[in-house]
Amino acid sequence: MSATSAVDQYDYDIIKKFSVMAVVWAVVGMFVGVYIASQLAWPFLNFDSPYISFGRFRPVHTGAVIFGFGGSALFATSYYVVQRTCQTRLFAPGLATFTFWGWQAVIVLAALSYVMGYSQGREYAEMEWPIDLLILFVWVAYMVVYIGTLMNRKQPHIYVANWFYLSFILVTALLHTFNNIAVPVDLFSMKSYSLFSGAQDAMTQWWYGHNAVGFFLTAAFLGMMYYFVPKHAGRPVYSYRLSIVHFWALSFMYMWVGTHHLHWTALPDWASTLGATFSIMLLLPSWGGMINGIMTLSGAWDKLRTDPIMRFMIVALSFYGMSTFEGPLMSLKDVNALSHYTDWTVGHVHSGALGWVAMIAFGSLYHMIPKLWNTQMYSVRLINAHFWLATIGVLLYITAMWISGISQGLMWRAFDDFGNLQYSFVESVAAMHPFYVMRAIGGMFYLTGMVLMAYNVYMTIRQGVRAAQTAATPATATA
Amino acid sequence: MADTNPSQTHASGPQTTGHVWDGDLQEYNNPLPAWWTWTFYATIVFALVYWVVYPSWPVGKGFLPGIGKISYVNAEGEVESWHWNTRAKLLNEMQAAADAQKPYFDRIADLSYDQIAHDPELNSFVVSAGKVLFADNCAACHQAGGQGKIGSYPNLADDDWLYGGTFEEINETLNKGRRGYMPGYAEALAANEIDALAHYVLSLSGDSVDAAKAAEGKALFHSHKAACYYCHGDDGKGRKDIGSANLTDQVWLWADVPGAADIGTRAARVRQVIAGGLSRGVMPAWEGRLSPEQIKVLTVYVHELGGGQ
Repeated sequence: MSATSAVDQYDYDIIKKFSVMAVVWAVVGMFVGVYIASQLAWPFLNFDSPYISFGRFRPVHTGAVIFGFGGSALFATSYYVVQRTCQTRLFAPGLATFTFWGWQAVIVLAALSYVMGYSQGREYAEMEWPIDLLILFVWVAYMVVYIGTLMNRKQPHIYVANWFYLSFILVTALLHTFNNIAVPVDLFSMKSYSLFSGAQDAMTQWWYGHNAVGFFLTAAFLGMMYYFVPKHAGRPVYSYRLSIVHFWALSFMYMWVGTHHLHWTALPDWASTLGATFSIMLLLPSWGGMINGIMTLSGAWDKLRTDPIMRFMIVALSFYGMSTFEGPLMSLKDVNALSHYTDWTVGHVHSGALGWVAMIAFGSLYHMIPKLWNTQMYSVRLINAHFWLATIGVLLYITAMWISGISQGLMWRAFDDFGNLQYSFVESVAAMHPFYVMRAIGGMFYLTGMVLMAYNVYMTIRQGVRAAQTAATPATATA
Repeated sequence: MADTNPSQTHASGPQTTGHVWDGDLQEYNNPLPAWWTWTFYATIVFALVYWVVYPSWPVGKGFLPGIGKISYVNAEGEVESWHWNTRAKLLNEMQAAADAQKPYFDRIADLSYDQIAHDPELNSFVVSAGKVLFADNCAACHQAGGQGKIGSYPNLADDDWLYGGTFEEINETLNKGRRGYMPGYAEALAANEIDALAHYVLSLSGDSVDAAKAAEGKALFHSHKAACYYCHGDDGKGRKDIGSANLTDQVWLWADVPGAADIGTRAARVRQVIAGGLSRGVMPAWEGRLSPEQIKVLTVYVHELGGGQ
């Protein structure tokens, strides 16, 4: 062990900044999510204002949770993991600082532009072209910092978590660039038009859309899992071989599956078939990560009783396994005929987002934040409360969406004995109301847990900062 | 810390790869679980079968069509068979629905409105098919239950019929469309005259209004200057042949009189209609867009909605 503490050995300042913003964006993004869920249940909440209408707030919600919360958590943990597993400080710390301010500017500008009505109309890529360019600069800087740090490593082998983070950084650069090739109306206009048209445009959008799920929300968070699960459990990763095989299989398969978002549309049937089959073949590569995570934890089951951080991790892996089973199922043509355009899709994405992505991020942040400030979490009981609120929240949410989604699918396709459609669309909308209420309540549970986390993190940081100030007399730095 | 430390957590446990990161991170070198490998192979076999059944890989300018087939009846009534594709599947499903509907539509084509309305089975069909036709084509304006929208679209669920509520009249409205029109009087009449007319019009449906204004309005209504009586009739009950409104009932289409709390607001809303006139009362013609049988079904359906005449 080195004589200097990790706090001095590594570049922690940038990680602290991103960690705090991850928590802030989670609160903001989840609040907006609860608000738009409530608008669907109680439409008066639109207050006849275009600025807060569902159409504008929805990308504010997805942007804040995916890129604000998820993105900041990934920047924070990747900078933490890459330094610690390479035993070196960040390459180009100035660029790293730029990634922080640049990324936060992206989130704020994107949200403001959505509220003002600017949107490319591309799901999860609604930012108009000036913001897209800023993202590009930030991402290239991120890539330089990350790859530079990897190249400076003091270990001959690259730890598995870094493969996943690196694939996420590379693929996101690729996806972002090609999905946003557009021609601005003029130099001073926010409006632009995609270079692709028709079915090709839709296919580009969903090649981006599903790989954003695959690499931003899956591969990257698997990277997080591969560091924080074994680290927190104090156990070796279950299988190195499995990690290699599932990494390459996952990376290869994911690239093909985007077209399963376009079943039963103008997309050629052969393209939709390929999307469906690669989704099926993606099931086991996805499960490779779950198996490796759960089997790594398997020697530490006793900790589940006492350690809520461990519980976050195991529940995250369970939801990961569940949603990566559900996804391939929904990508089959005949299942998709029922599920497409219904709330089932919304439930599916939230079982992945709330159950897997957010839970593994919570577990990792709870592990990492006290280490960054060289202290302990302020309250384990609050982590425990957060865990239960989050778990109940997800279950309410996805149960509501399963029921409403499958009901919608069945109502839309129901024929009576005369060969006529049995329900009009508005009847299916009316039938959804109780489930929209239930979903909003599930979201409120989840948000409440998140607010507890924010408080807990705030108190932890305060405690860490005060302890550092008290100890700030000469020659007290200890390992 | 050495990265070549061959440490093992348990002496009897599986081998690690021998690498150590960040102090204590290691990896076991367990083999792939057999069930994982075999299930992975099974998904590949599943994909191969799917590729054989459905259109799959692009080849040159075409693609492998797959062995799945779908049959449907084309416009000439011939059975056609095609490799599996969403277009053929849609035609096939629409055909099945049309086949189920056909016997009923055939009978409806030959029967009178009265016969349709009094045949319990056909009546059930009208309710079923009419609901879908109405929801697809009419509800956007007249609303899901036909209740319309004051200020925009007539209520079809009451017993007030601008252009008549017999089967024949409703059928005419559906086939040919309607174009309601009333001239605006803002320039022809003075403001106080329009106000007087508004009070008189409100008095016709029993509102308690300023009697002096109503009397002045009544004179104007029947005068050549305003000539309201010409379209709305001497009794203000309207004329079905031109669709002029009955002003003596409680039904309001353009001025939201029922939604106004006091006489001042009610009069203001009526004044607005008199001053501005109306040119928005357009109902499109459905002849040619829907089949005669579909329009016949809608005729009976709408007739039943509002208790037709």
